[in-house]
Amino acid sequence: MTTHVGMGIKVVGVNHRTAPLDVRERFAHGAHEVPAALQRVMAAGASGGVLLSTCNRTEFYLLAEDEPALEAVWALLGERLPSGPRGEGAAREYGYIERDRDAVRHLYRVSSGLDSMILGESQIQGQVREAWEASRAQAGPVLHRLFQTALHVGSRVRTETGLGMGTASAASAGVAVAGKIFGDLAGRTALILGAGDMAELAATCLSDEGVQITLVANRTQERARAIAERLGGRAVSLEEAWAYFATTDIVLCSTAAPHAVVTWERVGSVIAERRGRPLCVLDLAVPRDVDPAVGQIENVFLYDVDDLQTVAAQATARRRDEIPAAERIVEEETDLFWAWYGGLGVVPVIKEFRSRMDALRTAELERALKQLDHLSPDDRARVEQFSQALLNKFLHQPTLALKEAAEQGRGYGLLEALRRLFGMEPPA
Amino acid sequence: MIVPLHLIALALYGLATALALAPFIGLRPSHRALAIAFPCAGAAAHVVAVSQLTLFGLGPALSMLALCLVLLQLASERLLRGSAVSFFVAPLATGLVGLALLSGLTPGAEAAPGRNAWFVMHVALSVLGVALMALAFIAAALYLLQFRELKARRFGQIFQLFPPLERLDQLNRFALVAGFPALTLGVLLALGYGARFVGEGGGGLHAAKAQIVWGIFTWVVLGWAVWVRVVRHWAGRRAAVASIAGFSAVLLVYVALKLVEPGVGRFL
Repeated sequence: MTTHVGMGIKVVGVNHRTAPLDVRERFAHGAHEVPAALQRVMAAGASGGVLLSTCNRTEFYLLAEDEPALEAVWALLGERLPSGPRGEGAAREYGYIERDRDAVRHLYRVSSGLDSMILGESQIQGQVREAWEASRAQAGPVLHRLFQTALHVGSRVRTETGLGMGTASAASAGVAVAGKIFGDLAGRTALILGAGDMAELAATCLSDEGVQITLVANRTQERARAIAERLGGRAVSLEEAWAYFATTDIVLCSTAAPHAVVTWERVGSVIAERRGRPLCVLDLAVPRDVDPAVGQIENVFLYDVDDLQTVAAQATARRRDEIPAAERIVEEETDLFWAWYGGLGVVPVIKEFRSRMDALRTAELERALKQLDHLSPDDRARVEQFSQALLNKFLHQPTLALKEAAEQGRGYGLLEALRRLFGMEPPA
Repeated sequence: MIVPLHLIALALYGLATALALAPFIGLRPSHRALAIAFPCAGAAAHVVAVSQLTLFGLGPALSMLALCLVLLQLASERLLRGSAVSFFVAPLATGLVGLALLSGLTPGAEAAPGRNAWFVMHVALSVLGVALMALAFIAAALYLLQFRELKARRFGQIFQLFPPLERLDQLNRFALVAGFPALTLGVLLALGYGARFVGEGGGGLHAAKAQIVWGIFTWVVLGWAVWVRVVRHWAGRRAAVASIAGFSAVLLVYVALKLVEPGVGRFL
C-alpha cells in the first residue's frame, strides 16, 4: 500500500454555521461538477480527494500537503462568488480547515448528524455515501477507508444512541404523524393543496416514504403541473380537489390563501363517504388552510404547523440528550482510524529498517566467516544463529516502540528520527 | 421443578414489566433486543414448567394462559415492530403466574389415560382462544388510547411508544378472527368430552346450569364482536369498542361465576 508520510488528511470547506444560504448555494456542486473540481485540486498536489456537497455544506476531503492544494480549493470556491477570481480571499472568510485527527473527527461528526443543521438528521448518511461513490476514482485508499468508516460511525451512532430518534423538522414531523396513523406509508395516496416551496418539500418527504402523490391542486396550474410531474402525480384545480377527500389517505395543505380554504361545508359530506377510513390532514400553511371544524369529524386527524413543530421540538430536545453518547462513539472511532492511519507509515519503514540491518548483518557475517575458515560447518551455523539472535534483540525494542507510537497516532516523529539516523529516504 | 421454574418465569416477566413500563416514569426506553429477551427467557422456563403440569385446576389454567399471552406478545412484536403489547401483557402475565403460584400448582384429579388427548385439546384450544381474545382486547385498548392522543394532538409517551392505529387494528382483527373459532372448538371439545365419558367417573367434566347459560351468553357476545368485524366490516374505533365489550363480558361472567362457586380445583 502506498504511504503518504508527509501528507495529511485535510478538510476544507464551508457549512451552515460559517456561510449564509446564498453563499452555500454558490459553492454547492452538482454531481456532474465533482470530477472536474477534484481533478483541479489534485492537479495542485493532493493525492486523494472526496467532495461532499449538500445544501448545508461544501467540503473537500483531501490527502494533501497544506499548500498548494488548499489554495486551489479556495481559488475554486472563490470563482463562484460574484467578485470572480478575486473572491479567493472572500471564500476563505466563509470557510474552515481541519487537519489530520480533527479532520477525521469532523467527517465522523458529519456522518453521524452531529454537525447537521437539524441535529441527528439521517439524510446526511446517504449524502456522505453518494459523495464517496461519486469520488471513488479520486479518493485513494486512505480516503476510501475514511469514508467507509464514516458510514459505519453514522450507523453506530444511529443504532446505539437516540440521536436519530423522532423527527426534527415540521415536514418530517408530518410524515411521522401520518406514520402513526397508517403504519407503513408505502402505497398510500396524498393530495397536495398549494404549490409553494413548503408544499414541495413536504410532498417530497412523503414521496420519499413511498407515498404516491396522486394530485397537486393550486390556483396557478403551471406551478402545480411542475410539482405534479416531478412527483409522478396530476395537476388539478382547487375546485376539482374536494371530491378526492373521499379517497385519498393524506391531504397536505400549504397554499398562500389568506383564509381557510378547506371548510366543513366543502368537504364534510365528501369525507362521510369514507365510511370511517382515517384521513390525515397536514396543514402547513400560515394562516391556516383548514377550518378547525374539519378536525372534529370522526376519523379525520388534523394537524397544523404548531402541532408539527411541537413534534419536531420534542424530538430535538430528546436528541440533544444523546449528544454525549454520540460524541463518545465518534471519539472512539477516531482513535481506531488514527491508529490504522498511523500504522500505514510505520509498517513499510519497519520492514525497510529490518531489511537494511539484516543486509548489514549478512555482509559482516560473511566477512567474519572468511577469516574463520577453520570453523566446522556446525560452528559456522552457530555463529550465524548468534548474529541473527543479536540483531533480533537489538531491533526488538525499537520495533515495539514504533508500533506502539503508531497505534497511538504519534508514529511520525519517531519515523522521521529513524530515517535521519539510518539514512533512509522517504518513500515516493 | 414446577414451582422453581414458575418462580424463574415470574422473575423474568417481572423484569419485562419493569422494562416495558420504565418510559412512563421518565426512564429511557430499553433496547428492543432486551425488551424481547426477558419475556423470551421467561417463556422458555415457563414452557418447561407447563409441560410438567397436568392442566387440572385453576393454577395450571392460569399458568397456561399467561404462557399463551407471552407467546402471542412475542409473535405480535413482529407485526407491530415494537413492544407496545408488552405494556399490558407483561404485567398481566406476571400477575397470572403469581396467582397460579398462590392457587397452587399441584395437579388435581388426573384424567384417565384414554381421555388425555380430548382433555389436552380442550384445555389448549380454550386457553389459546381466551389468550387471543385478551390480545384483541389489548390491541383495542391500545388503539383507543392512541386514537385519543392523535385526535387531541397530544404527542407524549403514548404517541411515541404505541404502534400506529392501522397495525393495532390489524392485530385486533387477527386476534378476534383466530381466537373465536379456537374458543368455540375448545368448548365443543368439552361438550364432546362430557358426552363421551359421562358416567365413567374420574376426571369427567361437569357444568352447572348457570355456567352453561352464562357461557352461551359470553359466546354470543364474542360472536357478535367477530360478526361486526368480519361481516359488517367494522374497523377502527367501533371495532375496538366491540372487542373490548366482548372480552369484558367474558371477564365479568368469569369473575361472577367464580364468586358464586369459589375454589381452585377447577378453572371454571
